[in-house]
Amino acid sequence: MRRCEAGEAFENNTLKTVSGTMREAVKKTFRYAASFLLIVTLNFALPRLMPGDPVKNLIGEEVYVSEAVMEELRAEMGLNRPIYEQFTAYIGDLLRFDLGYSYHLHSPVAEVLRERIGWTLLFVGVSVLLGAVLGTLLGAYAGWKPETKANRLICCGFIALSCTPPYFLALLCLDIFAFELGLFPFKGFYDVPTPGSVIHHMFLPVTVMAVFSASRNFLIMRGSVIQEKGQLYATYARAKGLYDISILFRHVIKNASLPIITLLALDFGFLFSGALFTEIVFSLNGMGTLIYDAIIGKDYPVLQGSFLVIALAVLLANMLADLLYAVADPRVRRPT
Amino acid sequence: MKQIKGFTGPELKKELKRWLIYSVLMTIFCSNICPAGAVGTEDSGENLSASNGGIFDRIITYIKSLLGEENVQSSENVSGASTAGMPSTAGMPQSAGSEGTVLKIATPNVIKSASFIGDSNLGVFAHLSNPPLMKMDSEGHLVGQLAESYNVSENNTCWTFYLRDDLYWSDGEPVTPEDVEFSIRYYGKKTPWASWINETLESSTVSGVNNSVTFKFNKPYTRVNLEFATYNILPAHIWKTIENPMEYTNNGPYVGCGPYYLKLIDLNAGKLVFEKNPYWKGKAPESETVEVHFYSSVDVATLALENGEVDTYYKYAGSYSYSGIEQLEKTGNFDFIEKTDIGLVFLAPNLKKAPLSDEDFRDALAYAINYEEIVNLETLGYGKVPNRGFVPPTMENFKETEKLEYNPEKAREILEKAGYSDSNGNGVLEGKDGKDIKLEILIRPDYARTGELLEEYFEQVGLDSDLRTADADTWFTLKDKYEYDLTVTRSTPWGMLMHASWGSGYFDSRRTGQGVMHNLDDPEFLQLCDDILATTDPEELDGYSSELQDYYAENLPAIPLYWNNVVTPYNRHFEGWYTDPLYGIYNLDTFLNLHEV
Repeated sequence: MRRCEAGEAFENNTLKTVSGTMREAVKKTFRYAASFLLIVTLNFALPRLMPGDPVKNLIGEEVYVSEAVMEELRAEMGLNRPIYEQFTAYIGDLLRFDLGYSYHLHSPVAEVLRERIGWTLLFVGVSVLLGAVLGTLLGAYAGWKPETKANRLICCGFIALSCTPPYFLALLCLDIFAFELGLFPFKGFYDVPTPGSVIHHMFLPVTVMAVFSASRNFLIMRGSVIQEKGQLYATYARAKGLYDISILFRHVIKNASLPIITLLALDFGFLFSGALFTEIVFSLNGMGTLIYDAIIGKDYPVLQGSFLVIALAVLLANMLADLLYAVADPRVRRPT
Repeated sequence: MKQIKGFTGPELKKELKRWLIYSVLMTIFCSNICPAGAVGTEDSGENLSASNGGIFDRIITYIKSLLGEENVQSSENVSGASTAGMPSTAGMPQSAGSEGTVLKIATPNVIKSASFIGDSNLGVFAHLSNPPLMKMDSEGHLVGQLAESYNVSENNTCWTFYLRDDLYWSDGEPVTPEDVEFSIRYYGKKTPWASWINETLESSTVSGVNNSVTFKFNKPYTRVNLEFATYNILPAHIWKTIENPMEYTNNGPYVGCGPYYLKLIDLNAGKLVFEKNPYWKGKAPESETVEVHFYSSVDVATLALENGEVDTYYKYAGSYSYSGIEQLEKTGNFDFIEKTDIGLVFLAPNLKKAPLSDEDFRDALAYAINYEEIVNLETLGYGKVPNRGFVPPTMENFKETEKLEYNPEKAREILEKAGYSDSNGNGVLEGKDGKDIKLEILIRPDYARTGELLEEYFEQVGLDSDLRTADADTWFTLKDKYEYDLTVTRSTPWGMLMHASWGSGYFDSRRTGQGVMHNLDDPEFLQLCDDILATTDPEELDGYSSELQDYYAENLPAIPLYWNNVVTPYNRHFEGWYTDPLYGIYNLDTFLNLHEV
C-alpha cells in the first residue's frame, strides 16, 4: 500500500516536472516570439527616426535635380507611401524572405548580407572562438592559482589589454607588424584569393580581436573560478583525493563557466555586427562598415536587413545560452 | 566506489582521437574551398580573379565541384559579366602584366559597390578607362579629350563635338560618334543626377563624315563643355543590352577606350586594377598596370605610403593629410605637388535673418576673424588668407580683390556705426531690436575647431555666440530650414564650377541640393548668374566673373576662411605628374606622361 502511494507520488512528481518544463518552454517560446515581433517593428522604425533624407543622400551634395525627379526617385524607393503602407510592404517582403534592395550598393540586401556575413564570420567568428578558448583556459588557471607571479603578470597584461580601445590596439599592431617589421599586409581580406593570402591578411586583425576578446573572458573566468574554488564541493573533491587539475577541469570550470556562456551569447550578436573599428583600420569589407555606411547613407533596406540578422543571431544565441545553462547547471532545469 | 561522472582515461583518449580526426578533416575541407574558387578564376582567363564572392560562394562552389559539376565559376559576378555582354579578355591581346611597371595609388575614396555607373567614386577613377569628351587643363580651361574640338551655335542650343579618329575600345572596336551619343542619352535616361539631359536634350545627330556628334537642347545651355568633362563615355555595343545600369554590378573587365581599361574591381582586396588598352593608338603609357588601392583609414594609407607600398595618394576634392607631410619628407623617397584648391572653407551667414542680413554687420564680422591663425591651425601653413572675392586664384578668370584682414578695432567701429551698441554694459552688443546678440553658429563635425576659434573672435568684439555641432544629416536639415545664424562649410572643385560657376551655385536661392546654401535672392546677383549662364563667349565670361567676384567682395554673402592647398605626395622614382583644378593628379596627362627615373 505504502509502495503504491510512493509510486503515485513519484508519478505525480514526474508529471509535475514534465508539465512544468512544458509550461516553461511555452513561456519562453512566447517570449522569443514577442521579442522577434518587437525587433521587426523597431528595425523598421529606427532608421526612419534618424534625421536625413535617403533620396537627397543618394543624389549627393552638389548635384541639382528637379523636384519632379526627386519625387520620381522617392516613388521608386517606395518612400512616398504612407508609413503604415511602407510597414505592411516591409512585413510582406519579410514573409517572402525578401530583404529589399540597397539604395547605395545597387544589389539585393540578401546578397550583400550573404557576402559580408561570410567574411565577417570568418574574421570575427574565429576571433571570438579563439578568444573564448584562450581566455577561458588561462582565466581558469589564473583563478585557480592567483598568487603565482606568472598569473599575476598575465592578469596585469589582460587588464591592460581589456582597457585598451580595439582601434588603438589594431593601429599599434599594424604599425609594429605591418609597417615596422613588414610581416603582414596593410589592408583587405586578401591580395589574390588564395588560402595563403587570406590567412596572411587575416592574421593581424584576427589576432587583435582574439586578444581583446580573450582579455574579457580571462578576467571574468578568473573571478568566477576564485569564487567557485572556495565552495564546499571543491573542498569535498579535494578531500576525495582528486588532483588540482581534475578538480578545476571536471568540477569548478563547469560552474564557473556560466558568466562566460552569457558573455559568449552577447558576443554572438557582436559577431554579426562586425568590429567596425578593426574593419576600418584593416580596410575590411565586413558587417561593421556595411552598417556604418548604411547609417551615414540612410540606406533603410540595408539597415533593416542587418539589424534583423543581428537580432536573430542574438535571439538564437540567447536560446542556446538557455540550453547550455541547463546543461551546465542542473538548478536551471528544475521547475520553479 | 561510485565512478566520477565524465570521461574515464580510455574514453578521453577516444574522444580526443575523434576530435583530432575531425579537426584534420575540417582543415583539409577549408583549405580546399579557396582553391576551388581559384580554379574558376583560371578558367575565366584571369590571373587576378573577380573575387567578390563571399565564403558561402566558395563553399557552394566547393560542393558543386565535389558533385562533379564542370566549369564552375568562382564568382557569380564573372558569369554575370558574360551574360550581360561584357567580352572576356580571353580574346584580347594582353599586356605584359606582372613583368611591367605597376603604378600604385592609395586613396581614402573607398569603392562601396562594383557598380560602374552607380558608385560615384568608381566614376571618378573610371576616367582613366572611359575618358569623358572634355577635360580641364592645368590652367582650368576646358579642352577636348576624346573630342578633338567642339563648337556651339550662337544661341547656345546646339553643341557639336568632333571626335578624334584614333580611338579604339579595348575589344578592338572603333570609338564612334554613336558611342558618345548613346552614352550621353543613356546617362540622361538612366541616372538621376544627369536627368537635366533628359529634360533639356531635344535631339542629337551623328555624322560619320566628320566623325562628329551634335546635341540640340531646347533652351540655351552654356555649360555643356564643363558637364561633358565628367561623364565617362561608354561602348554602346556593350551597354545597350544593360537595361538598368544603376543596378548593374560586375567586377570586370569593362571595355574602355582610354590608355587603360578597367580589368578588375576587387572590393575584398580593396583595389581596382587597370591594364593597358591594347588598341590605344595615342602616346603609350609607361606603366603596364595602374592599381588604385582604397584604405578606410587615412592613417593606414599614410603608413602604406611611407612604407613604399604605394607610389602616390589621391583624394577627390582633398589633400594628403598636412600632419603627415613632414614624416613623409623624412623618408627622402617622396616629392610633393602643391596647388591651391579651387574649393575652400567658408563662413556662410543666414541672409534671411537679422543681424546677418545687414551688410555692415557682415563686414564687421569679416574684420573680427583672425585668418592667419585659422590658416596656421587648420592647414598647418599649407593655405592662404583668402580675398574678399571668395574665388581662389587657381580658378579660371580669378580677379584679385581686397585681402581679408584681421582688425578687431575696425570691426567694433563698424558695428558701433551701424547701430550695434552695448547700452546695458553687460559686454554684449545689442541688436537693433534692443536685445543682446547671440549668434548661433552651426558647425559640421569637420570644422569643430574652426567653430571654437570663431566663437572666441566674436567674443572679442562683443558678440555672444553659441556653437551647435551637428552631424551631416542634421546640418542639411537645419541649413535647409535656415535655422542658423552662421555656419561653417566648404566648397568642392565641382561645387565651385557648377551652376554659373565661381561658387555661384552655393548661393543662388533658386537652387536646391544638400551642400548648397541657397541663401541669396538679391536680383543683382541672380541677374549676374543668368547672364553667365546665357553666354559662351570667353570675353563676356571674363567680364561677368569679375563682376561676380566684386559682388562677393562688396556684399560678403559668404566669408571665406582659408584657401587651402592640395598637397599630393609622389614617389620620386616617377616623373611627369600633371594636375588639373577639377580632378587633381587623376587625369590622362599624368598617366600618359609618367615615367620611371
